[in-house]
Amino acid sequence: MKLSLQKFIVGIVLRVVHAALVELYGIDSRVKAEFDALPERMSYAIATGHHAPTLFVRWKKGKLVRLQQLHAAVCTLRVKSTAHSFQLFTGQMGLAQAYARHAFTMQGEIADVMKLARLVNIVEAYLFPKIITKRILTDIPALQANPLRVYGKIALGFLRFKY
Amino acid sequence: MLPPYFEFQNSVKLLCGELSLERLANELQQQGAKAPMLLTDALLYKLGTVDAVLSSMEAEGCRPACIFTDIPVDSSLRVVNSIAALYHHHRCDALVAVGGGSVIDTAKGVRLLLSQHTDDILSISGVENLSRGTHIPFIVVPTTAGTGSECTGVAVIRNDDTGVKMEFLSPFVQPDVAVIDPRMTQGLPPKATASTGMDALCHAVEACTCQQANPLSQAYGTAAIRLIATHITQATRKGSDKQARFAMALASTMAGIAFSNSMVGAVHAIGHALGGVCHVPHAVAMTILLPHVMRYNLSHAAASYAALLPALVGDEAALSTPTDKRAEASIAAIEQIERELHDICGLPLTLEAAGVPRETFAQVAAVAINDGALIVNPRAADEQQIISILNAAY
Repeated sequence: MKLSLQKFIVGIVLRVVHAALVELYGIDSRVKAEFDALPERMSYAIATGHHAPTLFVRWKKGKLVRLQQLHAAVCTLRVKSTAHSFQLFTGQMGLAQAYARHAFTMQGEIADVMKLARLVNIVEAYLFPKIITKRILTDIPALQANPLRVYGKIALGFLRFKY
Repeated sequence: MLPPYFEFQNSVKLLCGELSLERLANELQQQGAKAPMLLTDALLYKLGTVDAVLSSMEAEGCRPACIFTDIPVDSSLRVVNSIAALYHHHRCDALVAVGGGSVIDTAKGVRLLLSQHTDDILSISGVENLSRGTHIPFIVVPTTAGTGSECTGVAVIRNDDTGVKMEFLSPFVQPDVAVIDPRMTQGLPPKATASTGMDALCHAVEACTCQQANPLSQAYGTAAIRLIATHITQATRKGSDKQARFAMALASTMAGIAFSNSMVGAVHAIGHALGGVCHVPHAVAMTILLPHVMRYNLSHAAASYAALLPALVGDEAALSTPTDKRAEASIAAIEQIERELHDICGLPLTLEAAGVPRETFAQVAAVAINDGALIVNPRAADEQQIISILNAAY
């Protein structure tokens, strides 16, 4: 697959992941608890490769705000290549597997990555079918809602320019 | 099954065996060091363990420019920052760490600070996020056979403000040289010999069975397990046995190389939390938790645990064990070793015996789920599951 297409897909998935986190905050009690425990203005950045899409989010006044430009985040993950990002964001490799394969570097505290990893695992459990999550997660988090409801809310959110 | 991808690095020169300490001055010279700073703790200084190192250096005309002896039991960010300031003050040009895990981890933190030209180690925390920086010659002389810290690419340092043990993962924290001299562990009391040996066993077991395990880390890990299973009781019973001491020192180093290249798992995640919250010595926590976490992981790691049996009980005994019983037999073999050590030296085998109050379990679990070691554990664990493990270990 062409590098530009990989970057495009990764960019879309990053936006969906952010949208899923926003929606799951109101749906899944574990996601709500994780976010509620974050300090005000906690921020995560994910860089997916050279001249590749980035996701920069900040927890501010009870909302996960997506910022357009990559600033210095409290916790920054830099995936080592677009190829690895593509694997990570298309269900070919879980976050723990990415860590085990040295697929990213991290600036910040490992404890913050663990919080993000738990959130991403829950998002993956909703967004990916079981055939994928079985391969990329050691244990699949139990779903607290129908994934179709999550997809529906995300679609509606995009239509309303919510994210 | 081979992992799709793995990395392996060990750039530490190992000086192993007889009179290795006497080669320290020569190694410093080869590293271009003229004014080394020697780091140790007050107990080792008082016991005279450091004297042997100083004598070996002075015999070859090498004197430390500064000796720092106040490293606490749990290395801390504050101590790291203050030692770095002293290093500059005395115009030192190398680090020599003499001690166990806390001393070596503190020295690693100091080296990181110095080589990265920063004043606060918190600003450079992370995973594989650093460039090489300035080379600071760094030699370690381990005085316990357990942490394997002399060969690992990780420094575990306690954050004074939060009480949480933080991990700094970078290949650039590895020392240049490690001196594995069995004389340095001969004075170790039986209980410390047993618990640090179990710490090494835990490193090897987790390195061989976690999600990041790879054929090279497993080769080092199983070799370490074989040495430990053969020699730990003798080293504990008769500390003057040079062969047993040397075997345990080597095993600790090999287990260190193994887990430095494949991480650890839930035993360490929970153990770090027990250390941070309840001040349980690291090696004691590892001893107590290892079989309980293995039982918890059994559904996800049976094949990996079964593969350890020959190293734990010998090839013949392993082969005579039915295939489907080998994983459980590996856990039983570890429990048997622990019981023998308990009988010899009173090594605590339960959290209750280690003085951990049950009321702290929730706090311990809350800290443990944020420990980086948990990410590669064969089985995911949430707070409730960690509390169940703690209850089983009580």
